Formats: sequence, structure tokens, C-alpha cells
Amino acid sequence: MGDYILLAVSCIFVNNILLIQYLGNCPFLGVSKKMETATGMAMAVVFVLVLAGAITWVVNHLLLKPFGVEYLRTLAFILVIASLVQFVELFLKKSIPALYAGLGIFLPLITTNCAVMGVCLINIKEEYSFMQALIASLTYAIGFGLALILFAGVRERILLARVPKPLQDTSIGLVGAGMMSLAFFAFKGMV
Amino acid sequence: MAKTVVQEFTKGLWAEIPPFRLVLGLCPVLAVTKTVENGVGMGIATTFVLVCSNILISLLRNVIPKNVRIACFIVVIATFVIVVELVMQAFAYPLFLKLGIFIPLIVVNCIVLGRAEAFAAKNGVVSSFADGLGIGIGFTLSLTALSIFREVLGSGTFTIPISSVSVPVFGPSFQPFNFLVEAPGAFVCLGLMLCVMNMLGKK
Amino acid sequence: MREMIRLFLVIFLFSCVSGGLLAVVRSGTQERIEYQQLKFVKGPTIKEIMEGCSNDPLSDRFKIMDGDKEISFFVGEFDGKRSVVAFESFGKGFGGDIGVIIAVNLETDEIIGIGVTTHSETPGLGSRAKSEPDLSSQFKGLSIKDPFKVTADGGKIDSISGATITSRGVCGAVVTSASIYERLKNDILKKIKA
Repeated sequence: MGDYILLAVSCIFVNNILLIQYLGNCPFLGVSKKMETATGMAMAVVFVLVLAGAITWVVNHLLLKPFGVEYLRTLAFILVIASLVQFVELFLKKSIPALYAGLGIFLPLITTNCAVMGVCLINIKEEYSFMQALIASLTYAIGFGLALILFAGVRERILLARVPKPLQDTSIGLVGAGMMSLAFFAFKGMV
Repeated sequence: MAKTVVQEFTKGLWAEIPPFRLVLGLCPVLAVTKTVENGVGMGIATTFVLVCSNILISLLRNVIPKNVRIACFIVVIATFVIVVELVMQAFAYPLFLKLGIFIPLIVVNCIVLGRAEAFAAKNGVVSSFADGLGIGIGFTLSLTALSIFREVLGSGTFTIPISSVSVPVFGPSFQPFNFLVEAPGAFVCLGLMLCVMNMLGKK
Repeated sequence: MREMIRLFLVIFLFSCVSGGLLAVVRSGTQERIEYQQLKFVKGPTIKEIMEGCSNDPLSDRFKIMDGDKEISFFVGEFDGKRSVVAFESFGKGFGGDIGVIIAVNLETDEIIGIGVTTHSETPGLGSRAKSEPDLSSQFKGLSIKDPFKVTADGGKIDSISGATITSRGVCGAVVTSASIYERLKNDILKKIKA
């Protein structure tokens, strides 16, 4: 149990997927301008990442490994993620329209979110067991959401500040992200 | 055809140079620019995938049904990414180890899929090739510039690509500016470079 | 519905073509990849313990099945004779398995050298088994038939201070190697002559 807690803390803070491992930056900068969209994206990522983490682990260990075709991992994973996203979209639209209204527009974006693919690959690279992979996926996603929502708050404030013209928009966003990353850096060495 | 092939090529080098003008594919830009060697290696790998997938998708653009085009693009891109993975393992194993999961992650690099969707799916083979090559080289240049800046100031060395020899740039008393090679430095550095590019304007 | 099937078929066809293409690339590069992995992961250790050999042990290698496990053997040529083989085995350490490569002279059954390849021991303590020669140099020149134990267990191998379990793990790996060697010696000799 202790190990799992340690893993969770490491995934959320110490190795934060966005700010320390630099994965998933396109949606990070793209949807963080408004708190609403940031929350929506964070929820969608948590939802998809847990499913994707579990399924890709199973695909890797029950399909790719026994047949010795691990070199096809990239292709298999991206297809799994892409079809998963499609499936989740269809499912939500039909069965839980309320949730779909909130997450719908973010789902197609997730296919090309490198955080999702990245976590699936990290799970395999670190040779996690199924349980560990599940917890890592969940907590990485929570870390992603945490950073995204915090950052959206920062960015809403930046809107009020007078930023020099060339530094506006993405540019100041990146510098701000750097400062946040510095704060997360303080967790280094904790686990 | 409104634009010539040359124009399709050169727009990737300045007017639409990723990731500054085309703010896409930031993750590899931030992650692999710790040393010049990694930056250049990643740039070349991405260029290869970009050019090959652009050509193939442009060739197949009339065969691929509209509603499953994204899935087909992904299959094409993933195929070339695996080719890069295998070739890199065979000929540049240390680099492959250093770039780690960022090689397979080319598959979700928005630049590659973005070009396939926005350009190759609508244009002929020759201009798609020019577009892919131009954007790819532009991307490599950006990565190189950023990695030179970060490595020289951040660790005080310059790693020559291919030979992977690190040459110290400054004298022995140089105190490396560690901030730059760490994650926060990457963000700030890219943000400031973007600002400089904005100041220079589009022309 | 027919439309769905058509779309599905298109993607299926795409995947098949790409899978086939990749299989070709894979088979073309497999040999080289294997060699590169050896060169950069085990290579430095093998070179170190086989210092002075006149061939490239990495390319001069063969595989033998030991039960259901496949073991790679690397041949070293000394004074014009292919007299040394090196192979890897594992022992239980403090933080996980410790990989040890051992080079044995086939004529005298003497250990030419051992080296630690992979471990997950505590940095600064158990990790010294790899970075410092104190432990591994003790094995040099011993016969593979000796019983290998650390002094704490009544043997004659001095363990690294603060890392008895790691040292025990390394000894365990050498003992495993000895039994592999004994089991497969005839096969090894046959392969080397071939």
C-alpha cells in the first residue's frame, strides 16, 4: 500500500507529467486560457488516460509480448488510443449526454495529446505491474489536471496585466509555465 | 497553382517556422533540447517522418475515404515512426537511448498530423514533399537554435552531433547556468525565443 | 452498415500493409540492433574483463538453450586460441536482480574476470559493486569450481562494507554461473570448435 502512495505522490508532484516531463504541452497552452475549458480538458484526460493506461498495458502484455512483435508497440498504442477516444465519444453521446456536453469537444483533441500516449509508454518502460500501471495512469492524469487548472488561474490573471506586445499570448504563457515548473521543482528528491 | 514549389519549401523556414509561427509540437521542443546532439537528432527524425508521411498521404489522398482519413493518416505516420525507431536502434543506439520515449511520441506530434491534414490531403505530391521538407528543416533549425542556447549556457558544453563529443565552450572557471537545462528553463527559454520571433515580425 | 464495413476494411488493409512493411524493416535491422544493444549495454563490461583478447567478443557469439532459457556466450581469443567464454547470470541483490558477466578459461576452468552489468542497488553502497573493482577483482584467478561465499557466511570473499547483501548477490550470480558452466561445458566446446 505504501508503495502505491509513494508512486501516486511521485506521479502527481515529483514527476508531474506537464511541468517536469514536458508531455501534453499543446493542450496545456491551448485550453488554459479559460478556467472552464481547462476543467473540461482535465476531466476528459483523467477519463481517457485511465482507460488507455489499462487497455494498452493489457495489449502490450497479452498481445504484443507473447507474439514477439513489441516493435509494433507505437502503432498498436496509437490505434488503441484513437479508437478508444472514438468509442468513448459515441458512448457518452448516447448514454450520458450531460457528461458529453461537458467533455465532448475535448475528446477528439486527446488523440494527439502526447501525455496520453506518453504515460502508456512510461508504464511499459518502467515495467509496472497492472495495478501500478493503473495507479500511475490515474495519478499522472490527476497531476495533469492539477497543473492545467492551476495554470488556467494564472493565465486568467495575466489577461488583466499589461504585457508588452511581442510577449503576449503563448509567449508569456510559456514563461509563466516555467515559473510554475520551478515551483514543482521543489518536490524533486522528495520520493 | 498559386504558389510555386519553392515557396512551399521556404515558408517552412521562416514565415511558418514551427514551433514559433506554427505553435504546435511543443513537447519534443522542450524535452530534447538539453544537448545539441539530441536536438538535431530529434529534428532529423521528425523531418524524415514528416516528409515520408506527406508524400504517401498525398499519393493516397484520393483513395482514402473522407470519414476515416484521420485513422489512416495515423497508421501511415505510425509506420514511419516505427521505421525511424528501428533504424535509429540499428545505427545510433546511444541517441536512441537518450531520446527515449520521445521517438515513439513523434506519432502524436501535432505538426506531423497537422501537415497531413492541412496540406498533404489537399495538394499534389511535389508540393507536399516541398512542404514537408520545409517544415521539417524549419523544425530542425528551431530545435538546434534552442538546444545550442540551452546547452552552451546551461552546461557550458557543445555536443557535436553524431560523434557525441562534448566540447567545453568556456574556461574551467565557468559556472554553468543549471536552470536552463532543467524543465523550468526550457519553458522560459522557449517563451523568450517566441517573444524575439514576434518582435522580428513575419517578414 | 455496408459503409461501416467498407471503412473498417480500408483501415484493416492499411494496417496489414504497414505491418508487412514493418516486418521487412524489422528483419533487416534485427541483427544490427541486437549487436548495438550488446555493444552499449554489456559491451563495456565484456571488453573490460576480456582485456587483451585479439578478436571482437561481441560479434563472436553463439547461443545455447539451457532448459527453456537461452544464454548468449561470447568467445574471447587469447594467443591465437579461442579459449575464453563469457556469459551473464543473475543473483538476488538488495534492490533486485544483479546481472554479472563472468569470463572463464575453458582449458583451466579459471575465472578470467567478472563484471557487474545491471543492478538496482543503493547508490553509494551496493552500487559500488559495479563502480569499484574491490569485490570483482577477488574472483580473478579462482577456479570456477571453488565454493563462492562471503566471509560472513564462512567463505573467503570479502564483502563491500555496508553492502553484504549485494556482495552475497554477486557471489550467488557466480555460483549460478558455475552450475551453468558445468552443465553446458560440452556444448560450449562443441560450438567453439564448429
